[in-house]
Amino acid sequence: MTALRAGHPRLQELAALTRRWYLQLVRDRLNLGLTLLQPAFWLVFFGGAVRRMVDDRVTGTPDYVSFLLPGVVAFTAIGTSISGAVPLLWDKETGYLDKLMSMPIARASLLGSRLAFQAAVTVVQVAVILLVAAAMGVRVRTGVVGVLVVLGVTAVLAVALSAVFLALAFHGPGHTTFFAVTGFVTLPLLFTSNAFVPVEAMPTWMALVARANPLTYAIEAMRLLVTSGWGVPVVAHLVGLVGFTALCVLLTHHRFRTYTSAR
Amino acid sequence: MGDAVTTTRLTRYFRRHAAVDGLDLRVPAGEIVGLIGPNGAGKTTTIRMLTTLLRPSAGQALVCGLDVRHEAVAVRRLIGYVPQEKGVRHLLTGRESLEIEADLHHIPRRRRDQRVAELLDLVGLLADADRMVSDYSGGMQKRLDLACGLLHAPELLILDEPTLGLDVVSRHRIWDYVRRLRAEGRAVLLATNYLDEADRLCDRITIIDRGREVVTGTPADLKRDVGADVVRVSTDRPEVLRSAIGHRAWVRQITIDDAGDLHVHVDDAATALPDLVRDAVRHGVDLTGVHYHRPTLDDVFLRHTGRVLAGHPA
Ligand SMILES: Nc1ncnc2c1ncn2[C@@H]1O[C@H](COP(=O)(O)OP(=O)(O)O)[C@@H](O)[C@H]1O
Ligand SMILES: [Mg+2]
Repeated sequence: MTALRAGHPRLQELAALTRRWYLQLVRDRLNLGLTLLQPAFWLVFFGGAVRRMVDDRVTGTPDYVSFLLPGVVAFTAIGTSISGAVPLLWDKETGYLDKLMSMPIARASLLGSRLAFQAAVTVVQVAVILLVAAAMGVRVRTGVVGVLVVLGVTAVLAVALSAVFLALAFHGPGHTTFFAVTGFVTLPLLFTSNAFVPVEAMPTWMALVARANPLTYAIEAMRLLVTSGWGVPVVAHLVGLVGFTALCVLLTHHRFRTYTSAR
Repeated sequence: MGDAVTTTRLTRYFRRHAAVDGLDLRVPAGEIVGLIGPNGAGKTTTIRMLTTLLRPSAGQALVCGLDVRHEAVAVRRLIGYVPQEKGVRHLLTGRESLEIEADLHHIPRRRRDQRVAELLDLVGLLADADRMVSDYSGGMQKRLDLACGLLHAPELLILDEPTLGLDVVSRHRIWDYVRRLRAEGRAVLLATNYLDEADRLCDRITIIDRGREVVTGTPADLKRDVGADVVRVSTDRPEVLRSAIGHRAWVRQITIDDAGDLHVHVDDAATALPDLVRDAVRHGVDLTGVHYHRPTLDDVFLRHTGRVLAGHPA
């Protein structure tokens, strides 16, 4: 228990790093505004405009906004994970990361504080999305507990994706590569998942790809929670998602250690 | 008390290229030691090994007796490091930057705010403490970096070109803080390619070139070795003049720099100058300029490397 006593060095450094992430986010007003409003915009845009082009028999529900909600959550998580890697990318490029690494902090604190912060930001965004969705008439079938689980899924997904993009930030030679790769992967990642079309309605080859895309598990779990109810599949999808996330975090931790442990 | 830094045959390769090559460096406690060399000499690479950011390829480096390779965490607690690049503290005020770094150094919370205020005061930033660092001038940013490096009262402060690109007033302020640290018995390792800075500040300097130690000593000893006076002669036929005066008894050493100027080290410029001019006339060598001065570290550097160290502040 001593490890958790207030004033413990690890807690002190985690608090300081989190404070830094927080100040950098809230002081960047435009970025903050977009961070909060963009996801809700997508929901209104897709829900309002695209629903007319979609066949109810494909989505399996007449309530396209409910169907789409998890997809917008996933889309938001991707965008936030990419922009969330940028502060560390800058720290790496300005040399400040080296300064941090010359201080007596744990490597895991830097990565851990960033992943936790990313999860928190994404949860806030998704809470806003859920409020907008509620205003558009969406009722989550599994109630308040279901909403909390959706937020939990969001947090786990945010950690997984942030870990992947942080690994890319440390791996690449510089920000040009980072932005080139992230600009290229977002849409394919989304369109090879079940964000817009349920897996059952896909052609076989596409269903195979979607099954290999970890976004599908997160989306499927959330979709069940929002549109139908509890059940074994929800748990199965969650287990898959958590496993994938653990893998991503391990990979990134390893990348980060290699990068920061005296080369 | 032991040495703050001892390296033995410290070496670092980047691929096949040795950036630091068998360096023996010593920083005794309570001294300011200068690591002097042109760009690319290996100063930053040496410092990055001492700050545990780079792994030595061979040899050993001890900081306060601790091996940088095997006791990295303990070493990080003992050093204050002011990197070469200015600390870009994105969207933070000066005070916030210091508070955050104080927490990262695990300075107890109840002492933190007072310590931060002390350091802001020390580097003259108290009045600007709550402004954004991005609005600071280069000199202010560098002073903030210095304050960050001093937060935890380190045994060893490592400064990598701390006054690069600073105005004269800021440079003098930084020198004052560094001297104050020495007065407190702390050790300072200062990398610079400003020789006047090294001359005024350092108790001892090590000149390195292409990763190797060239010479080590106190500035006074090194200058004394050069000779009593240096006569600098500009001419379009430096080689002819060199052979014309080379055998003279008053010549201690002659070097020709990249600009083609002759640097003649002599015991006494007053007696040497008439002879030198006479020899030039006899050999038909036109002199376009003759100056003489007491030896500086520039002369030391030229004597040991055969080159002039560029990069002087205005
Ligand atoms: N990360 C690196 N990768 C490859 N070469 C490097 C790296 N860092 C420094 N070097 C090379 O090592 C040599 C010494 O560089 P450095 O220590 O930065 O010199 P200084 O600080 O004295 O200007 C230079 O030739 C430089 O190009
Ligand atoms: Mg350097």
